[in-house]
Amino acid sequence: MTEIIIPPSNLLKGVDTINLSNLKKNKNWTPYLLIAPTVIYYIFFWLNPVITSIYSSFKGVDGSFTLQNYINVFTTTSFGEAFGNTAFIAGISIVIEFFIALALALLINKKFKGSAIFLFIAMVPMAIPAVGAAAIWKTGLTTYGWMNSLLYYLGFLEKGEKLLFLSGSKFSILWLIIIIDTWQVIPSMMIILLAGLQNLSKEAKEAGYIFGGNGLTVLRQITIPMLKPTIITAVILRLISAIQIWLIVVILFGFDRIPLLLERVIYYKEELSRLDNSYQIASTYAVITSIIVTIAAVVYLKVSGAFDISKKEVV
Amino acid sequence: MKKMWESTVSKFAKKTLFYILITGIGIIIITPLYFLVSLSFLSSREAYQYPLPLVPAISSEFKLEKGDKGYLLSIYEKGDREYQTMIDTKNIEKMSRYMKLQLSVDVSVEKLENYISKLDQQNEVYFKSYKGLLHNYKTFFAITRDAIPALIRSLQVAGLTILISLSIGGMAGYAFARYIFIGKNALKVSVLFVRVFPAVAIAMPMVIILATIGFYDKPIGLSLVYSVGTIALTIWITASIFLGIPVELEEVAQIFGATKLRTFINITIPLALPGLAACAMFAFIGAWNETVSAIILTQFNPTFAVVVYQSVLGAVDQVNLAAAGGILMAIPMVLFTLFIRKYINQMWGGVKI
Repeated sequence: MTEIIIPPSNLLKGVDTINLSNLKKNKNWTPYLLIAPTVIYYIFFWLNPVITSIYSSFKGVDGSFTLQNYINVFTTTSFGEAFGNTAFIAGISIVIEFFIALALALLINKKFKGSAIFLFIAMVPMAIPAVGAAAIWKTGLTTYGWMNSLLYYLGFLEKGEKLLFLSGSKFSILWLIIIIDTWQVIPSMMIILLAGLQNLSKEAKEAGYIFGGNGLTVLRQITIPMLKPTIITAVILRLISAIQIWLIVVILFGFDRIPLLLERVIYYKEELSRLDNSYQIASTYAVITSIIVTIAAVVYLKVSGAFDISKKEVV
Repeated sequence: MKKMWESTVSKFAKKTLFYILITGIGIIIITPLYFLVSLSFLSSREAYQYPLPLVPAISSEFKLEKGDKGYLLSIYEKGDREYQTMIDTKNIEKMSRYMKLQLSVDVSVEKLENYISKLDQQNEVYFKSYKGLLHNYKTFFAITRDAIPALIRSLQVAGLTILISLSIGGMAGYAFARYIFIGKNALKVSVLFVRVFPAVAIAMPMVIILATIGFYDKPIGLSLVYSVGTIALTIWITASIFLGIPVELEEVAQIFGATKLRTFINITIPLALPGLAACAMFAFIGAWNETVSAIILTQFNPTFAVVVYQSVLGAVDQVNLAAAGGILMAIPMVLFTLFIRKYINQMWGGVKI
């Protein structure tokens, strides 16, 4: 999925850190008029379907209230496997992507000769739509695809020798997915971190060097802590979309081979739609996925101390 | 003296290493995309060679001679440096069609007959023909039902999404930046929260909701769903943009007699243009790319993303066509990003692209 980027400065701080003198404090109805369309829109096109979704996850085939859908999901639909795969992919890919993206951002921030060109190249995967990326890897990883051809031209493979990327063990497939995801996601993460880096004051860093710090200590003691709000933004956005990975996996491996939380939703909605309770199962999976995303996001924000940051800034 | 020389060498070595590293990373990033572009220009025959040609051929050399069944056509193989038999037939129309489908070469029947007539005097006729590089793209539109209407629909969806999310989200963003109101913080949190609920979970119940208001399987219906996420984003971005525009500017305009609305249109909007452009870009990218909701919320009128998704999904036999579809999907995004780039640059506070 192509990531959508939010300028890091305003997701977690920003709106609260306003100069209060700028605000019009007169109690008129203008702000309410301005936010009314958004509120109405959310109620109708967000809250409404969300409630319907939750409602149908508790609805049996005959229309009565039941917990059977949840019991079915947890006991009979390879929920454990889907959860495990998703957690494995999301957990590892976020760590890898974060460190590579940070390294690239620090590199480009150095402003070497040709850094503009490099930045441009690094952003290329961002312009590739999800379906386009799927086409890249689908054509690349088949037995006679470009990946094997390339390895052959580079001399890694003998003539007639081929790597079977798509039919490896489950473990190797999961790693393959992580690598593909990394290629796709790093640019957007890097841009967020880069924008954050460019907003940092140079003085603090210079002071660090004056007081005898070397490059590494300045990075660890000054740059990273100052970059923290940006890092939290970048990781939280990634976390939300990493748990929702499915399209590339389905295009490469088909349904049901590597179960994932969201893959299950589409699987039951589109592929098994003839079952009596497939719609309910799909809804239940969607609700469970949302709950997992929310818990992961809240836990991450708590652990990383994001709540403390925004509290400080409100004061 | 010696020390200085050593430090120059180590500095030079470091620099070289650095650039080798940078180039390596650049190559890793570009390679997959290069192959997608390259594949989309390959003929069906080339696409099933192994190893795949690194560079698509621009032209092919042919040899025509008398064969057992009729006329024998061979193509020059650059790798093996010899001619390889392609087809042996009396039917010249069939030969022409075969060349077009398998080799992406357009040679008319008359031209082939002309070559064949030369076979009376000589044993072999050699000729060279340029490959139709856009052949796969044309074929993609020819065999994919509905590709052009789907493309138009996708642009409609993207346009409507931009319109909806900029107008609704922009208003709320302005309120966030300029006013204190009850429920501000709650709304702020909810704006983040709407992105947590998976798009599929919204899309499934939306089938019924859209059907009741008559928007199911229509571009407007999809853009209404996409706008949920983009409105949230638009509020975040525009709020910070409007915050950056000094309130004094607006006040001065009002002192000079401009109405509130006029001030907003003539002063605030032009200053907020970079942020609005960024929002438009995110809305466009989001709407253009989205596949899941589009699969669920369309039936007879799919978007282009769905059409390409289906062709990639079933592309076991036609990798070159799938590649062409992938490229077609990427082109509008690249164009739109380039078009809007200078505004984005301003917004990112000098991240130059």
